[in-house]
Amino acid sequence: MDLTKMFQFNADRSSYPELDANGKPIIDLSSHKYLKLWQGPQHPGVTGNMSLELTVNGDEIVESKTHVGYLHRGFEKLMERRKFIQCFPTCIRMCVAEPDPNEYILSACIEELSGIEVPETAQWLRTLALEMARLQVLLRGVPGQAGTFSLGLGYQWGNYIRDLILDRFEELTGGRVYHMYILPGGVRGLLPDGFKKRMEENLKLVDEFLVNINDLMYNNIVFKQRAVGLAVIPVEWIDQYGVYGPAARAAGIMRDVRKTHPYLKYSELDFEPYTTTASDVYARSLVRWHDLKMTVDLIRQIMAKMPDKGEIKAPTPNVMHWRIPKGETYVKCESSRGEYGMYMVTDGSDMPRRVNLKGPSYTHATALLERLLINANIADTAAIMVSLATCPPEIER
Amino acid sequence: MVEILKELEDRFQVTDLVQQKDHLAFVSVDKNKAIPMITWLKDQAGYTSLTLLTAVDWLEDGKFQLTYMINNPKKNSQIAARVMIDRENATMESAHHLWESIRIYQRELKEMFGIDFPGSPEVDESFILEGWVDIPPYRRDFDTKKYSDETYFPRPGRQSNDPAEYMKSKMYPNE
Amino acid sequence: MSIKDLLTPFTAWKRITKEPVTIRDPFNDRPGAERYRGFHKNDVNKCIGCGTCEDICENEAIDMVPFKDPISGDSGLRPRLDYGRCCWCALCVDVCTTNSLTLSNEYTWVTVDPEDFRYTPGVDKKAWDDNEKGWKKPEGSYEFYNINRVEMHHLHPEDRDKSFVEMVKGYSREQAIAEADRCVECGICTATCPAHMGIPEYIKAVRHEDMEEGLRILYETNPLPEICGRICTHKCETVCSIGHKGDPLSIRWLKRYIADNVSSDKYKEILNTKDLSNNHKKVAIIGSGPAGLSAAHYLALMGYQCTIFEQYEKAGGMMRYGIPEYRLPYDSIDKDIDYILSLGVDIKYNTRIGTDITLEQLNKDYNAVFAGTGLHLGRSTGIPGSDNEHVYYATDLLRQITAGEEIEVTDQIVVIGGGNVAMDITRSLARMQNQKFGKVNIITTALEREKNLPADLEEVVESREEGAIINPGWAPQSIEIENGRPVGLHVIKCNSLFDDTGRFNPQCDITKKEFFPGSMIVQSIGQGMDLSFVNEDFKKDLEFGSRGRVVTNAYFQTSVKWFFMGGDIIEGPDVIHGIANGHKAAIGIDNYIQGIDFTPAK
Ligand SMILES: Cc1cc2nc3c(=O)[nH]c(=O)nc-3n(C[C@H](O)[C@H](O)[C@H](O)COP(=O)(O)OP(=O)(O)OC[C@H]3O[C@@H](n4cnc5c(N)ncnc54)[C@H](O)[C@@H]3O)c2cc1C
Ligand code: SF4
Ligand code: SF4
Repeated sequence: MDLTKMFQFNADRSSYPELDANGKPIIDLSSHKYLKLWQGPQHPGVTGNMSLELTVNGDEIVESKTHVGYLHRGFEKLMERRKFIQCFPTCIRMCVAEPDPNEYILSACIEELSGIEVPETAQWLRTLALEMARLQVLLRGVPGQAGTFSLGLGYQWGNYIRDLILDRFEELTGGRVYHMYILPGGVRGLLPDGFKKRMEENLKLVDEFLVNINDLMYNNIVFKQRAVGLAVIPVEWIDQYGVYGPAARAAGIMRDVRKTHPYLKYSELDFEPYTTTASDVYARSLVRWHDLKMTVDLIRQIMAKMPDKGEIKAPTPNVMHWRIPKGETYVKCESSRGEYGMYMVTDGSDMPRRVNLKGPSYTHATALLERLLINANIADTAAIMVSLATCPPEIER
Repeated sequence: MVEILKELEDRFQVTDLVQQKDHLAFVSVDKNKAIPMITWLKDQAGYTSLTLLTAVDWLEDGKFQLTYMINNPKKNSQIAARVMIDRENATMESAHHLWESIRIYQRELKEMFGIDFPGSPEVDESFILEGWVDIPPYRRDFDTKKYSDETYFPRPGRQSNDPAEYMKSKMYPNE
Repeated sequence: MSIKDLLTPFTAWKRITKEPVTIRDPFNDRPGAERYRGFHKNDVNKCIGCGTCEDICENEAIDMVPFKDPISGDSGLRPRLDYGRCCWCALCVDVCTTNSLTLSNEYTWVTVDPEDFRYTPGVDKKAWDDNEKGWKKPEGSYEFYNINRVEMHHLHPEDRDKSFVEMVKGYSREQAIAEADRCVECGICTATCPAHMGIPEYIKAVRHEDMEEGLRILYETNPLPEICGRICTHKCETVCSIGHKGDPLSIRWLKRYIADNVSSDKYKEILNTKDLSNNHKKVAIIGSGPAGLSAAHYLALMGYQCTIFEQYEKAGGMMRYGIPEYRLPYDSIDKDIDYILSLGVDIKYNTRIGTDITLEQLNKDYNAVFAGTGLHLGRSTGIPGSDNEHVYYATDLLRQITAGEEIEVTDQIVVIGGGNVAMDITRSLARMQNQKFGKVNIITTALEREKNLPADLEEVVESREEGAIINPGWAPQSIEIENGRPVGLHVIKCNSLFDDTGRFNPQCDITKKEFFPGSMIVQSIGQGMDLSFVNEDFKKDLEFGSRGRVVTNAYFQTSVKWFFMGGDIIEGPDVIHGIANGHKAAIGIDNYIQGIDFTPAK
């Protein structure tokens, strides 16, 4: 039985719209050939509070525009009138799902600009917190890809284990979602007693999850049918459109700050980020599955190598009037979505002059997504978006 | 890094070089030489990736600083070009022909700082704000606190006391 | 794609036998973790209402609200939370100067009235007040400011025990900035300072390296900053909020740092006192101690023509004639005083009121009179032998040392007294013994036991470092005299000083005796006031209070309207009280002369 044939659906893609001399589509709404369709801001198939203004012809998208602004809070500007220490609870909200990289890059900018060395133990704990953050994101992010094709089961499994990881966060940091753990100078606590043991129990569940999800998704005919060949990102687009992290690695381009520019303790850890070349939704999803696997391994390595005791925070100037000399820097780290960086400018006062956060979604959800959706099927919109892990709060901050 | 900076000095007369760390350097470049320099870096020197483009408001000096941060992924080297432009009628040459993604940054800068990039696609369309009538909100002279006090009502009944003043009022009011 | 791809997803069915993982009753079955950042708790008896928690809160979730009347070291305010704004970052907890503020691990709170979510932890009783668990900053892990003082460099004992060179070196620029950085600007100290100096403000000036601004702030309330920056009794430091977890700020040394770092020729320009107005009103001031100088300074700023009458050859009172040079060098005194005199204040040296000029005369010639005559009469123990000519008063000896007069120094000395003055004379004599005999042989004894000695601990420690023996807990009985000279002091053990009702009633054990040999005895058990400059007739009009002190109102005006008094004779005894009194009196005198009614409550 040729299953491939049986499930094959070869869409007879239209040739609409015609392109003008500049290669721009000529869309004449009054021709009745096109329809405007809004996906979002309230829609289960968008990754948060954003919306896509789709122009469709039949079930085919001919043009897409990304609209953000549904949760603009102006954090960058708010930080300009907050003392450095006060920025720390503010900045985390720039990405809700994975707040820890925010904490890290903000602290690292402040430390770099004021010449503070973070103690060894704190660096290990930071590395751990960042990997735990990736773990809890990917536990939903990996099965979430199948969710966009209406296979929600894996998401339930992942969500449960994520909850357990949040328990670990809770006992380490005092918070479940916003951890506020990495602060300028170091971290706010050592591992609680028995933490490693409980973590290891959770990791065993993730091991099991990885196997199950592999069966459920990557060896699933429907998933393959939908994801393979979908929304291919050609290699030439990587820099043109600003593609980072797993999305770039699915196109065979090694982009992982942990490897290309090791920070914290990554140079002491043994890992090789997964790359593949198909560059479609399936490939991007598979890269994330491997990332999840690698994260589990990294957490085990970290727990084995890290010291149990030691200084957790370097002395800093009095936080009530910590001034930083005029300067500027950019600090980056690898979030689950790719390079996540902060540009900070200081002017000698006790507040930052300018903070600019740059996350991968900024380009993924806009220029790249708009391009990828051309000629895509309406039903694939969510899948394509999720494959880029777009996160609206990091676009508009 | 050193060689490339030297080259930028020779070719584009960059100033105020700061090598912030191993792989990151800041340079200042003249407004007219900025786009040629970035084009050269991108096309000839391997700085193919745009990390970010943003602005800093130096209100006191009447200047905006545009920061173009670009990256050479092969060499893992990053250069940030500072370009000072006048705050008044702030305009900068668009670089949308260099990267597909840069139009997004330029659109945001137009909206948030009021810096124009003529010719950049959709640069006049609102990006994050809709129906905004005030001055561009990321300018230093836009007061977020004032805006929030005027837009949202504070909770009634909140009142605080300064410890030193309170002690004075109670312990030595006449001194 | 293969048949496998069709079948493997069905492996998911194997999970059908798994137990559900949902927690049924999260309110009871799911307490927050040990470190959970839940609802606030505050130990209101430990909290001092410094408001640092309010300052750090980036969400403006905290108001400081009255809880009780303020007292020295406690503003009486307590933080009130607005849970409409709080994000449970616990920065307020981490910054808390007393560690009174913590978070519980409670995270559920249901109420119908949204106003309930504004509450004062510790005052408004909550179910989680006794929760042991919840966020507190890990013990000894980190602080948001340095709780340890920047060490002040002191001369080593061997470098100081032979000379009167100043022993405290003063902060360097880096040290001063680092020390000033520790301040949280709560301002709790200001109320405790008798002069209510703008302490956080001048510390801020040090941080910002703005010495001119610093000097201006100092002179608003204190015209003797070089002096106070060295020898102030620094009561402010005892209430510093940072002192609850660590060392209080070195407020005194920071004041000195400012004064030391502005040269005197710039003072007038910085303080804007080049052209003072003149209102042609005259005020006479008796005594050039801190009280008199302070009054003269502030009156001069207001345009009064002030004349100080000083019985001695030089100005400064006890600051010059009491406090030894190694603690307060004469140039520092001169710097402060010369500036005050440069404001047009006139001073008549070697002029004693009561003998050279009468008080009545001053009343005739001046619009008002201020007296800050201090406590200069040495108090005697009255024990047998204390009238011997080789038994001295500490203050007399100290004055003679300052005046450069030859004093007797024998190779074996006993000092009676346990206060700072006793330490001053002990250490001065120790230096002189060292110079004369190459060794120190002094025993200083006091009624109080070691831990209750009135002298500052550092004074006792340093005296010992310099070779003196401090042997407290003894009651002097008699001075043994042989051939017209003392040979030593008989003492008995003193067990306690006060009875249960708190009255002075020393309990001694006569069976425990001791003899301290000494060929010279110094008494340093306090000073009394000398009001002989006020004649008897006039005294009748003066109202006296319980302990023989003249009664004054809050502006230091006596019952005789034109006559004001301040300093040690009224309050203190220390320099800063004198300064505060003089300042307040200056305002009172101004009001009095202008005929403005001021009936302040004291
Ligand atoms: C040994 C010693 C150490 C001390 N150490 C410290 C210290 O470290 N820190 C601190 O804060 N305080 C210290 N004090 C206390 C401090 O010196 C006094 O509290 C302060 O000087 C009192 O100021 P005053 O203006 O009231 O009087 P004084 O300083 O005593 O000044 C009174 C002045 O009036 C003059 N006078 C008196 N009668 C007449 C008259 N009839 N006619 C003309 N002139 C007259 C006197 O000659 C004197 O100059 C110390 C005191 C002593 C004795
Ligand atoms: S926990 Fe954070 S937000 Fe809440 S009151 Fe304290 S400082 Fe403010
Ligand atoms: S910081 Fe601590 S001591 Fe100060 S007011 Fe707040 S709770 Fe009280």
